[in-house]
Amino acid sequence: MWNIFVEYFPGWKTWCQALATMLVAIGAFLIQKHLFAWGKDISPGEQQSDNKLQQLTGNYDTDLQMIKQQLSKNSDVHFRDFRIIIGSSRATLVFVEGMQDEVLINRQVMQNLMDGNFQRSEGYVVQNHSEAFAAYVKEKLLPISKISEVADLYELEQSILFGFTALLIDGLPHVLLVGEPTPKVRAIEEPVSEGLLRGPRTGFTEVLGENTALLRQSGLASDLVLKMVEVGSRVKRNLVIAYMDGIVNPDLLKEVEDRIANINMDFIADTGYVEQFIEDNWLSPFQQVQNTERPDRVINSLLEGRIGILLDGTPFALIVPVTFSMLLQSPEDYYERWLPGTLLRMLRFFVAFLALMTPALYISFISFHPGLIPTELTITIIETRQGVPFPSLIEVLILEISIEILREAGIRLPKPIGPAMGIVGGLIIGDAAVQAGIVSPILVITVAVTAISSFAIPMYSAGITLRMLRFAGMLFAAVLGMYGTIMFFLLICCHLSKLKSFGVPYVSPVSPYRFNDWKDLVLRVPITLMKKRPIMMKTQNKRRKS
Amino acid sequence: MYTRSDDKISTTETSVFVTNSVLGAGILTMPRVVAAAAESPDLWLSVLIGGVVVILMAIVMAKLSQKFPGKTIFQYSRKIIGRPPAFVMCILLIVYFIMIAGFEVRVLAEVTMFFLLEGTPIWAILIPFIWLSCYLIFGGINAISRLFQLIFPICVLVLAVSYVLSIRIFDINNLRPFLGEGLFPVIKGMKSTVLVFAGFEVIMLLIAHMQHPEKAIKAVVAGISVPVILYFFTIVFVIGGMSTDAVLRSTWPTIDLLRSFEVSGLFFERLEFPFLVIWTLQMFCNFTCYYYGATIGISQLFNLKYRSVIFGVMPALYISAVIPHRINDVFEVGDLIGWSAAWLFFLIPLPLSIIWLIRRKGLKHNV
Repeated sequence: MWNIFVEYFPGWKTWCQALATMLVAIGAFLIQKHLFAWGKDISPGEQQSDNKLQQLTGNYDTDLQMIKQQLSKNSDVHFRDFRIIIGSSRATLVFVEGMQDEVLINRQVMQNLMDGNFQRSEGYVVQNHSEAFAAYVKEKLLPISKISEVADLYELEQSILFGFTALLIDGLPHVLLVGEPTPKVRAIEEPVSEGLLRGPRTGFTEVLGENTALLRQSGLASDLVLKMVEVGSRVKRNLVIAYMDGIVNPDLLKEVEDRIANINMDFIADTGYVEQFIEDNWLSPFQQVQNTERPDRVINSLLEGRIGILLDGTPFALIVPVTFSMLLQSPEDYYERWLPGTLLRMLRFFVAFLALMTPALYISFISFHPGLIPTELTITIIETRQGVPFPSLIEVLILEISIEILREAGIRLPKPIGPAMGIVGGLIIGDAAVQAGIVSPILVITVAVTAISSFAIPMYSAGITLRMLRFAGMLFAAVLGMYGTIMFFLLICCHLSKLKSFGVPYVSPVSPYRFNDWKDLVLRVPITLMKKRPIMMKTQNKRRKS
Repeated sequence: MYTRSDDKISTTETSVFVTNSVLGAGILTMPRVVAAAAESPDLWLSVLIGGVVVILMAIVMAKLSQKFPGKTIFQYSRKIIGRPPAFVMCILLIVYFIMIAGFEVRVLAEVTMFFLLEGTPIWAILIPFIWLSCYLIFGGINAISRLFQLIFPICVLVLAVSYVLSIRIFDINNLRPFLGEGLFPVIKGMKSTVLVFAGFEVIMLLIAHMQHPEKAIKAVVAGISVPVILYFFTIVFVIGGMSTDAVLRSTWPTIDLLRSFEVSGLFFERLEFPFLVIWTLQMFCNFTCYYYGATIGISQLFNLKYRSVIFGVMPALYISAVIPHRINDVFEVGDLIGWSAAWLFFLIPLPLSIIWLIRRKGLKHNV
């Protein structure tokens, strides 16, 4: 008995290995924990209101003096003095060049004030320095749909510089903002990155007002709520949170609003900034927020109980929360009938698998397990690989990195050369490499299949993720062959199982098993059978059909 | 709260968890182990009867756990029999879990080294596996069960396809004569079939995490019947495809069955490769079950933080995996585990249930 114990007691090498296992794991965990906390530091910014709260006095001269003092540094701010018809009071228009609607300013503001029909015998007591005067001007003299009053100098300065036109009238206690900025706008056209064969050819533009209008125009919807907040501390921008009132889960809405309120940055240039601030796990290679340029995608998501985020100045809207299956779906699946929709989806899942695993599988089969491939193919491969001087990992890395360089270059080339470059790069350079003996022809096929597969993924951001991950797969395969590839696949599955996007597990609806959600996962069942909203979103209103 | 942080799993998830805790190395070794014990082709009957016995044992465990909602065995055992005996019992259970985990990962390493990666040192296979499992367990039982649900259908599907395709070498005469030597070999075989189902003791700590504990019996029965059916088909196809004598002479009979026939037209000629792939995935799930069980046990027994215990158990798992020197030692450990399962059943759930029943009845009489 004692003999057995002594014989099987592990040697010191085993103890070292066991300890090393534990210590490396602890080290990796601590690094990850601190890295995560460091990148996620949430501290709502302090308010940028130092000494800018200066009220306007109501006195025309002092106010005008204050405004001129603040804005005279800018050469594109213009001051237009004139006199209005009521008692010949002085008035000034302050505006920034290029932003105001000339017709509105000339006809509706200046003409009416200088030359308007002034009826003395109306019920208003028209005197200077009174509320009645202000009311009269606003309600009777200015036929403009959008007027607001400003009492704070800082806000006035910001509004003028943003493009509003300010109107000071001697005798009015506040300054009026007449005329909204009309920024330059491009025509509504189909987004370049998300083109479809069948479906509406509209895309968001850079103007928030137009984008919200596009959402509202999707149909008569009293449930559609668009809530506006300001983001950015120094350069403020408008951001709209869109949701369906009777459908969305109120906890989700609150979570989204809280995270947006915690954004701390001086300028939010694009929704990409918002995405990076509100996502759950910044270390993950998978995106937890979806971005799109198509209004129909946003509306469909809203009806499923998700929340949309639009930002002024960018055509890309965000949709939260997102799950893995959404990244492989395209609105075209729903516009076509169920059979093409289902088959195309299956193709996309297969394509995603190919884009991720093909180089890793190539390395494992060629370097580690040639016995697993059919015999004739093995012989051909070995023949063609005779002259290749590199081990398979280096060979694959050379070609894969070249493809990535070509891809990056292709984005920036002017339109006529771009597609040609793709053909040139792909065929000729690959062929030349084979002729030069650097790579084997079967590798060129593998890499080409991988590259094309990654283009077939409907969301560009998801394609980037898979492109990054396939390099990790290659490394795993090069170290431990097929076992390494399996470990890599398991690692991705584990990571996905742990990942959550705003509380929704990323791998829904595959697991947890919610059979009703499977109607829209790989299959796309006929639309008459899609009676309920996705269960994973925990919506208030469960049925789509009445 | 929109983000779920309550560590509860649904009924289906419980079944999948139980299935994953039972399906493991047994698929590869069971035909030979049972054939060696029974020495007759009626093993499939032993497997079925053994499966029924195991289901009954599982129901006992489930019923016991249902009486203490929200508490795992490590917590309620001290209520039943007092602290010191419960402590000993739980330590036994934890050692048992660590033993099984080490055994499973060792079998995986052996098979991988034999079929896929000759010449690789064993620590290079074991250590990434253990690290990966640790990474998953960090997410808690919800992440674990999500992964299990991802992998479970793939495994069952590939297994089913492999077996169906092996019909071409299936010979029903290998399974005859039916009950040629009477019922006695079947009983002898049952000894080892029950041992193959070892590992379902995780039920005792799983029911605490269920959302609807009243459905525990259904979940557990469903969870164990899937491996029973799978093992049944394994035995039938393996013995039918290769005869009993061939099974007795091969180390991994199931893989040898898959190597015995060719499939033309697919990318790989023989089906052993996809089988090995999904079997590796399945072993990962299996190993994670026991790693999780041991972690929960130690953390609840000694009141330590869950996260620290995950790291602390790692060296123990590694040591338990490398202790056997040769493959024969590995199989002896397997037999030992089987015996421990049977002993543990008579040591833990059964006495605890009986004692609890007596105490309750006693209380009722007193009142």
